Parts: sequence; structure tokens; C-alpha cells
Amino acid sequence: MPWMEKQAGRPLKTSDKVIGIILVIIFLFVFYVVLDANKYKMQVVVIDGEGKVGVNPTTELLDFGDMSRGTESVRTVTLNNGTFMPVYVLVWQTGRLSEIVKVTDRNSGEPAQAFKLKSDTEVKLEFGARMPASAAIGDKYTGRVFIFKIPTFGL
Amino acid sequence: MENDELVEKDFESDSEADLEDRKKVPKKKKSKIKSFIWNFVFYIVIVGGIIFGLPKILVWALDTQYPMAAITSGSMWPVLKTGDMVFIKGVTVLEQIEQGDIIVFQSDSNGTLTIHRIVSIKEGIITTKGDANFTEDTPISFDKVVGKTLNWKGDKPVRLPYLGSVTNLSTRLRNK
Repeated sequence: MPWMEKQAGRPLKTSDKVIGIILVIIFLFVFYVVLDANKYKMQVVVIDGEGKVGVNPTTELLDFGDMSRGTESVRTVTLNNGTFMPVYVLVWQTGRLSEIVKVTDRNSGEPAQAFKLKSDTEVKLEFGARMPASAAIGDKYTGRVFIFKIPTFGL
Repeated sequence: MENDELVEKDFESDSEADLEDRKKVPKKKKSKIKSFIWNFVFYIVIVGGIIFGLPKILVWALDTQYPMAAITSGSMWPVLKTGDMVFIKGVTVLEQIEQGDIIVFQSDSNGTLTIHRIVSIKEGIITTKGDANFTEDTPISFDKVVGKTLNWKGDKPVRLPYLGSVTNLSTRLRNK
């Protein structure tokens, strides 16, 4: 570690090395979790009329298509834990569309922002967008979804 | 003997400087402790003032017992979002509110506080509706009105994004 010693201006202590190794492990862990996360783009276009839901499904993104006010559209994401240990699943949404999209577990109907997924099991997450009365016609709302799977290491 | 004398001499020769050093070190320590205590007291006063004083100042300045409210639903989207914190200004007479104002009122059905927009006022009866909702709320009388949102730049309510989430979380934990 000559570079680090040069930066510190003194020889590294054992405690410095231990802290350094811990920080490297944390960095690699976070890097793996971010890299392994499922990432989706979301979008919807508000159209005039009543009860209109345009079907525009693609596999690359959570496209809710065209929706008129008061309608609801659902897209499903299947999540499978093929590892040997349970994982914590964390669903993080950003963007304007995330304000009107709710994530639920299809089986239980409960909100599914964060939950534990057992080994060799799968869960179907429903992303439901309900177009409110205050949505502006012609506007396109977009957002992003990140589904992080954090290994629990038996914790 | 010679050595002993030498040692004694050395001690004597350094004694004045040593004494000054000894006096200086505790002084520095004392001043450090003193400044730490002063800083600690200062921060306690500031934090205490914010925690206990700010709500009282807001109650006085905004003339209401409920100067702040957390948004718990998306019924006022996109003007107010879930997790926002808004400031409420007290109202005492019907003339202080008008159509288009966002008001806080006690709901007749369950007694909880609701924040919705006034769609009409007819003969003292106020009808409200959430911007994102399709139906109007049950009309209320003025005595149910707690206040209206504090606005800036015309009709935009002053809101602190995400700060209401803390209140919402603590309420959820308390109800568990």
C-alpha cells in the first residue's frame, strides 16, 4: 500500500488496514447490489375521454400506454430468487409517474416497497397506475423503478 | 555526589520554565473544557428553541392550533404530494376563505382532518374536493374549518417535501 502511505504521510497502522479492507468490502457489496438491481423505465400518456386505456406493452419498460383520467392500468414484474439465501427486496421509484404508481404483491395485495424473499421462490409485483382527475391531458409522465435484491447472509 | 549535584542543578535551572509550562497546560485544558461546555449549552439552547419554541411561534404567527400538517394521501396531487408538510393559517370568519383556496377541515364522517380545495361556498355551506378526486366531499359548515394553507406566489401552498413523511411514519408506528 505505498500509495496510501504516501497519502497518509506515515506508515499504515493495523487499524487503518482493517478499516480499509472493511470499506473495500462495503463498496464491492454496494456495487454488486446496484449492478444486480432490476431497472425499468416507466411511462404513461394522459389522453382525453372516459375509461380509455390504450394497450402498449413492451418487455423493456413498464409502459402503461395511453390512459384517460380515472382509469387504472397494471403491469406485472416477476421476481425470482434463485440464490441459496433469502434476499431483502427494496423497490425504489423515482420520477413524476412514481407519485401515482403503487406497488403491491399480487398474492397478498399488500404494499410491496420492501420485503424478504425466500430462497428458490418467486413473487409477482404489480405496478398499478391510477390516473387522477388532476392529470393534464396530453402530458407524458415518466419515471424509473429500481428493484434492489440485498443478500441477507442469514440475518 | 557530583552526579546528584548536577541533577539537582539541572532541575533548579529548568524549574521556572517547567512551572510556567505546568501553568500553561491546565489553562489550555480548562479553556478547551470551557469552550466545549459553552458550545454544548449553545447547541442545546438552539435545538431546544427550535423543537419547543418554533411550534409555539407558528401557533402565534399563523393564529391556529394546527400550524403544520402532513399530507397522507395523493388526493391533492400534483399540488400537494404524499409526505409533504404544509403550513396552515388560521381563519376566524367566512370572508377569509374563497373558492379555490385549499383548506383544512374536520371531516364529519370520521372526525379526521382533511386538506382539500374549496369548489363552492353557498349560504355558508362549503363544498370541497381533492384535486385528484372525481367526487366532491360532503359539504361542511364554517365551524369545521381549521384554516387554509399558507401560500406563496399567489395560490401555491408553501410545502416542505418529504418532511411530512416523518410525521406519517411516527403516526403509523404509534398506531401499530
